Parts: sequence; structure tokens; C-alpha cells
Amino acid sequence: MNIVVCIKQVPDVLSLRMDRERMTIIREGVESVINPLDYDALYMALELKRKEGARITVMTMGPPQSEEALREAMGAGADRGILLTDPAFAGADTLATSHVLASAISRERPFPDLILCGVQTVDSDTGHVGPQVAEELGLPQVCGVEHLHLEGGDLVAAARGDGFVETIRARLPAVVTVAGGAPSMIPVPLGAVQDAFAGGEVIRLGLKELSLAPEEVGLQGSATRVVRLHPPKPARQGEMVEGPSETLVEALIRKLESLSILDEEEDHG
Amino acid sequence: MGEQPGRVWVFGDYRNYFQNRVTLQLIGKAKELAQEIGTGVTVLVVGERVRQYAMEYVAHGADAVMVAEHPDLSEYRVETYTALVAEWVETYGPEILLAGATAFGRSFFPRLAKRLRTGLSADCVDLHIDPETKLLVQTTPAWGGELLAEVITPHHRPQMATVHPGVFEERPHDPEATGGIFYPEVKIRKEERIRVLRRRTRRSRKIRLEEAEVVVVGGRGLGSKAQFEMLEELAELLDGEVGATRPAIRAGWTEEERLLGQTGKSVRPKTLISVGTSGALQYTAGILGAGTIIAINRDPHAPIFKISDLGVVGDAKSVLPILLEELRKRL
Amino acid sequence: MHFSEESRISAHHNYLVNGRMTQGFVLGEPDSGDRFFFLADVVLPAESTPRISARLYGPEGNLLCEVQWNRLGRNPGRCTYRSLEGGFRILDEAGSVVLEVMTEKFPRGYLSGISGRLFDEEGRLRLEPLGDNSRIPGEPPRFLTRPYGGF
Repeated sequence: MNIVVCIKQVPDVLSLRMDRERMTIIREGVESVINPLDYDALYMALELKRKEGARITVMTMGPPQSEEALREAMGAGADRGILLTDPAFAGADTLATSHVLASAISRERPFPDLILCGVQTVDSDTGHVGPQVAEELGLPQVCGVEHLHLEGGDLVAAARGDGFVETIRARLPAVVTVAGGAPSMIPVPLGAVQDAFAGGEVIRLGLKELSLAPEEVGLQGSATRVVRLHPPKPARQGEMVEGPSETLVEALIRKLESLSILDEEEDHG
Repeated sequence: MGEQPGRVWVFGDYRNYFQNRVTLQLIGKAKELAQEIGTGVTVLVVGERVRQYAMEYVAHGADAVMVAEHPDLSEYRVETYTALVAEWVETYGPEILLAGATAFGRSFFPRLAKRLRTGLSADCVDLHIDPETKLLVQTTPAWGGELLAEVITPHHRPQMATVHPGVFEERPHDPEATGGIFYPEVKIRKEERIRVLRRRTRRSRKIRLEEAEVVVVGGRGLGSKAQFEMLEELAELLDGEVGATRPAIRAGWTEEERLLGQTGKSVRPKTLISVGTSGALQYTAGILGAGTIIAINRDPHAPIFKISDLGVVGDAKSVLPILLEELRKRL
Repeated sequence: MHFSEESRISAHHNYLVNGRMTQGFVLGEPDSGDRFFFLADVVLPAESTPRISARLYGPEGNLLCEVQWNRLGRNPGRCTYRSLEGGFRILDEAGSVVLEVMTEKFPRGYLSGISGRLFDEEGRLRLEPLGDNSRIPGEPPRFLTRPYGGF
């Protein structure tokens, strides 16, 4: 069985710098981590590998340093990595990103049985890539999956909906976005990441190798543009209270009283 | 020639209608947007038993509704709805297409946007029309919410966005309202490769976070489950509901349904008390609509204090027991 | 102007005819005095019942009865009027259903379904059953934008 896990390397949010021309984040020279919600996808793939035996390919689109994220995933148990990198890919929205990912996935031989993504990323926070890759590849999608198992040529998954959980059977190949809430820490054996850097196959693919034109990718291939990036305006700058606990509690009680929360029970008739 | 449907479209997600207000909130906002670009609001109502909702949407401000009724549409299924709505979009050419960022919206809209080859912003916290360009400006959190991005879709149509529940306000129900009704042709494509085997409602108790007037939120700073339970008592004393941030849920102190923030619920209570939360924007994105925010945190520089009306710098471990005692005396 | 080409629905009460909702519609000539008509009038928020008025004929073009605001008026055809839970039914002398109006109540609104077999003074079929609703085979209805009134 062949599984592709799409992961994204995201900068540690505390060390941000902006490219004011492209209105994008400068990723070089900044601490990077695998997008936390992608761990859940990777974990699910590793479980499937353990139970069913599977070859896991981790794939990411990003600057060259994203290879670290692939290596980390390989240290945790993924078998190979594919780095989709090219200056032309920069500034992509999910329309363009999903196009690049789908193009790379469709080159895989054999074609993967299962494509896993995290349910959203912390940087662009859209959660669109999974469904958009599914649409481009013409595959069924199951979103918000908490757990799944395989049955014949199908997957059977528990998928989170709005106020309910559905048990869904989907024919493979399929795209699955994995819900948050699963254990996020995958124990990586000491030295495994080092080994991953030494051995382990990471293939680099760019515009040429994917046979894509510049208009299809990156900023040019995007439908949306960021026109402003700014910190949120603080909506309130209220009063602050410091001091011993009794003082603090007094202030709290006064505030609650002023909001009429401590009044006698009203008749909500 | 009859009327044409208004060109700001809202997808009507009517499941759990009386709890799930996001479509109504969107209609409220869509009316403003439509006015800015000289058109009206059309709400898409797709399903099997939808007549009541078509009327409700008109009551809450829809200028028109587009209705598709068929037994094969009884379940919300991404592929079927994508095919159907894409046809309508291609026939009528709306300017703007909005949906609530419900679980369904977040899996349906990206697929639809890809089929239409247009742009989509997710979980917007604001929408407005740029007075010069007349483009829809979509404000979405980025970088875990540390920043806000203003996004436009200059050349592709429709301009699509999903909006987090609780961000906008709905208009009150107006029984005197009327609206146009369209029954366009419908192409139903069933997704043969997916089957729903069963469905289980997930509501451990009646958790009504979105309706509560008082919400008490616990974060990592509480330190332990025992402390979180004190918070639960606080909520009970104030007749409120309990919310939590992701670290508190990961630590197993409470259930996922209580998660507030970008990947959780948005709430607009009259009063929100946030304890032991640093104020990361993934979380605060879900509480900015609250009337009054009171925060308790040990760190005077915690970002939560930038968005609170009353900031209490103190350790929850010391403050909570005394607060609870005082409240028990009075209530 | 009472009429519009596209249908409108109201937040408060609508009729279901042709499988579609409308706040009010007319078939035929209400003002004629001696010809077929069927009027499902707009219901304002203060009211909670439909407003049906009609002059109905049999398949031979024979006058059956008149309906004024849901009540039977002139009745040369000896029709029976039956009150039902949430509506009413009019049967001809032989006992077949001529007209049935049933109102469904939603939490904040009403929907009145119209079904039956209606003929005009020339024996032309103007309304016929379709599933549990009805179809308008002949001249299409005119949709109301405000109450017709007067009946």
C-alpha cells in the first residue's frame, strides 16, 4: 500500500518577518517546525504502516529548507520524501499549491492509495489543500477523520461533522484530512533524524520536472492576493489590577457586580 | 423577464437550524456588502425538506432564495453539492459566494472553489467592500492568528469566503419580509465512491457555549485538572458555560467540544472570563465578539491583556479559591 | 400592480402549488362574476389561516360551488365541505375530492398545500393532482405581490 502525506513546514510564529513586496512571510533564517496538525496525519500513516505495511512518502512544497521537515518525518518512520521547490512556487495560495501537489502526486508510480493531510495549517490556516488536491485528482475526500481502517479496497473512517460523527466508507484511492486531537507527539528514536539525513531518499522536483508553466504556480497561479498584513488592532485596553489575591478578588467581584451577573435570579419569562 | 437573483450569494447551511446561526449571521453581513455593490442577497437552499428554511432566510434578510428540493439531496454530500452549486454559479455568475465555516463548509467550499478555479479565504473575521475597487476585502487570521491578512480576489469570480460562526450579527426575524424564489434546473450527481454507514450525534451533555451569556475559559496556566474543575465551579456559580483552549484539552482536562478559537467555536457572550490563557490568537479569534472580557494570568505581558476590559495579574491557583469562596457567600 | 412574473414568498405564510412556494396566486378571473377563478390570497402576519376563494366547475363546465375566504358559498353542485385538522376539503356530489387545502405549521411560519381537480366553465382542467400537491396544466397562475382583497 502506498500512502502520501502532505506536510507543511511552518515558521515558528514568534520569529516572523515580512516580505513587503510580495506580502508574504520570509521563511529563510527562521525557526521552522512541521505544522502541528500534520503530525496527526503522519501519525495516522505510521499506524497504517505498522498494521498493514505501507510505503509512506512525505511531500511538501516550500523553500529548500523545508527538506528538514521531510527528514524529521522520515526519522519518525516515513520511507521517502519529495520536496517540491522552485522560486516560481513562492507566494502561492491554495489554488496554486494544490495544483503543484496534485501534479507531483499524479506522477507517482504506483499511484498512491491514500493521501493524508492535516486539517489545517497554522500559517495560512485555510485547510483547503486536502479538498483541492482531491478535486484536481478527481478523488473522493473524507474530511475531519479521527481514525480509519482499511477493508478490501475501501477505507472506513470516523469523520467529524457538525455536532455528529459519521462512519464513512470510501473507495480508494481517496484523500483524507485528519482531525486534530490525536496524540501529537510521535516518538522519534534518538539518532533517527540523523539517519534520515544521511540515508533516505529525498527527491527534489521543480517547475521543469513537474512540466508546469510559471502561470500555473506561485503568485501568478493564485486567485487571491494578500494586500495587507498587520497585527490585529487591540480592541480593548482595559484596566489592569495587580497585588495580593484578596485585592484581585475584590476587583473581580466589583466587575461582576457591575455587569449584573451577581443579581438575584431574574424571571426570564 | 423576471427578476434576476441578487449577486451576493450565501450558502444556506440549515442543519441544527436553531443552534447553528452562521447562515443568518452571514445574510446580515451580505446585505451590507450587496448594498455597496448595488445588488441583493440570494441564499441557496438545497436539500429535501427545505421549505421552512427558505422562508426563514427571507425573514432574516434574504432578497431571494434559490431552491433545490429532491430526496437525493437529503444529505449534505460534498461531491453532489459541488456539482449542483457549480452549475448554478456558471449559469448565474454571482459576484460573491459566502458560507459559514462549519465542518461541512470547510470541506465543501474549497472543493467548489477549485472546481470553479477561483479564490477562497477561510474563516474570515471580517468582510468589506473596498470603496474604490469595489472588490470584496477578506480579512482572515494568518500565522496562527498572530497577524491578520487582508485578501482580495482581483480577477477570478465569484469571490468566495467562509466565515467563522459568531463573527457577524444576524438581523431579527421579520414576519413581514418577502423575497423572490427561484427553482433553477438541478443536476444531481451522486458520489458513488462514498457511503455513509451511520451517524452518531455527538453531544455529551447539552453544551450550549454559543448561547451562553457567561463563558468561563480555562487554559494551560491553570496547571492541573483540579484547577480546571474549580473553573467549572466558577461557571456554575455564574450560571455560565465552560470553554477551553487547545492545551487544556490536550492535557485531558475537558472535552474537545469546549474548544474555543479558530479550530473550535466562536462565542459572543455578554461576559467572558479567561483564566490561565496567554492569549494566542488561535484562541482569541474565537472570543473577540464577547461583550466584556476579564482575564486572569500570572504574566503581566500576556497578550490576553491587550484584549481584555479587566486584566487581573495573578496566579489562578491563589485567586480562584478566594474568588469561589466570596461568590459562594453571595449566591 | 398585484402581479409579478416571478414568484415571491413571504416570511410568514406561503402556498405550495406546482411543487413550488408562492405567497399568493390567481387562476382565472376573480372579478368576472360568472367565470372560473381560484384565488389563494396573500396572508398577512396578523393571520394564521390561508385565504382561499374560488368559483369551481365540473368537467362538463357545470357550476359546482363558490368558496369565499375558505367557506362554502353558493352550492348548486351539492358539494360537501369537510373541515379537517389544519385545513379543509370540498367533495363533489359523488364524493370525489374537488379541492383540499392543508396548512403545515413551522416554528415561525405556515405553508398551505393546495391539491385537487379544478375545471373551468368550459370544462378545461385548470388544476390537477401531482403527488400530494398539484399541477397547473393550463394557463399559468399570476403571482401576487400584495393581497388581492375583497373576497
